[in-house]
Amino acid sequence: MICSTNSRLPSIGAYKGNAPGFGLRREAKRHAALAGADEISKSGVAAALCHRSPKSRASVAHERAWIARAMLADCRFCAHDCGVNRLAGENGLCHAGAGARFFCAQTEVSDELELIPTFAVALSGCDMHCDFCITGATSWNARAGTSFDAQTMAARTRAALREGARTVMVLGGEPTIHLPAALEFVSLLPDTARLIWKTNAHGSAQARELLDGLFNVWLADFKFGNDACTQRLAKTPDYVRVVKENLLWAAKHSELIVRHLLMPGHVECCWRPVAEWLAANLPGVKVNLRSGFWPAWHAARHAELRRTVSTPESDRAIDLARRLGLNLIP
Amino acid sequence: MKKHRIKKNCDPSGKSQTSELLIMPDGRILVHNLTPAFAGLLHELNPYDEQISSRLSRRNGVKADVTRLPLLRSGAASHPSPKS
Repeated sequence: MICSTNSRLPSIGAYKGNAPGFGLRREAKRHAALAGADEISKSGVAAALCHRSPKSRASVAHERAWIARAMLADCRFCAHDCGVNRLAGENGLCHAGAGARFFCAQTEVSDELELIPTFAVALSGCDMHCDFCITGATSWNARAGTSFDAQTMAARTRAALREGARTVMVLGGEPTIHLPAALEFVSLLPDTARLIWKTNAHGSAQARELLDGLFNVWLADFKFGNDACTQRLAKTPDYVRVVKENLLWAAKHSELIVRHLLMPGHVECCWRPVAEWLAANLPGVKVNLRSGFWPAWHAARHAELRRTVSTPESDRAIDLARRLGLNLIP
Repeated sequence: MKKHRIKKNCDPSGKSQTSELLIMPDGRILVHNLTPAFAGLLHELNPYDEQISSRLSRRNGVKADVTRLPLLRSGAASHPSPKS
């Protein structure tokens, strides 16, 4: 139950007119009008944003999926803020269309120990372009993989949960660019399922408000410690500010685990500022420092990324984390 | 850097499962998308690897059919790698 005070999930009270920064109701109506979707304002928006009685996670997700679908007409799910009409076939920087595709869905045990085994559903396409992305072209290409059918995937997910998966992880690519499909998927899952939102934390304020209260854990990357490295390696401007804002929000609205993939040659320029910021601004937050970098996809374009992380680099990074008192988790 | 990599696109139908490996010259194996079945196989290759053991112990009832997996030629240490 989302609105219950007994719930372990965060409240969606922010939608009752006191959301900071902007009014989601107004935004949703504007987007619904753009999409010509009058029925959304009659049922979905009003119910999703104004209800006062407890509702199941599934029903809230269902209603928000309608809102998200309408918002594709003026897509601003990620911080690139393209404003393209994906419903009309326009593409933004992520090249994603109106429908979602996925390139992998299986039970895995390679994530944080407290989350595994997890049934991981990887949606195709990403709004960032990290040259070293381990899933590379497959995950970056929004047209890769298979058309995503929420009903079919939900049935597979329920089967995975019955067979022992402890959590369900929605990831990419970057799932934020496929909010309508992700929310519809959530609406078909049991309210008791523990859901993980695995994100690059480069989403917009609109996107995160649609996600509020639906996922038990935000598993968020903080990949780069400065905008110069981000621009050079991932072609993404204004990255650090956006990620910090999203992490602060996620910590207040959900359980948060921050991931940093240690990159060879980037301990001082990227890990150090990330670690220092986390220590100062999110003390106690769970941090997973990943040292398993391998030079995938276009990594060889950058001299320092043509190798794995050395043992001294890894040791130095861990030592820094310990000195700063970070809450490292395996 | 000399590397040997087994790579196959994940099967979206779910009929088969896929893990990706990077076998390092020093014998380390980096693994991406580690499935319970593959963790079972790696555990058989090196039962003393704590990282694999800890992940295997979390799987509980998850089915692990290692008979369908290709055999690895060698494997010293192994550890999972992140999605990036």
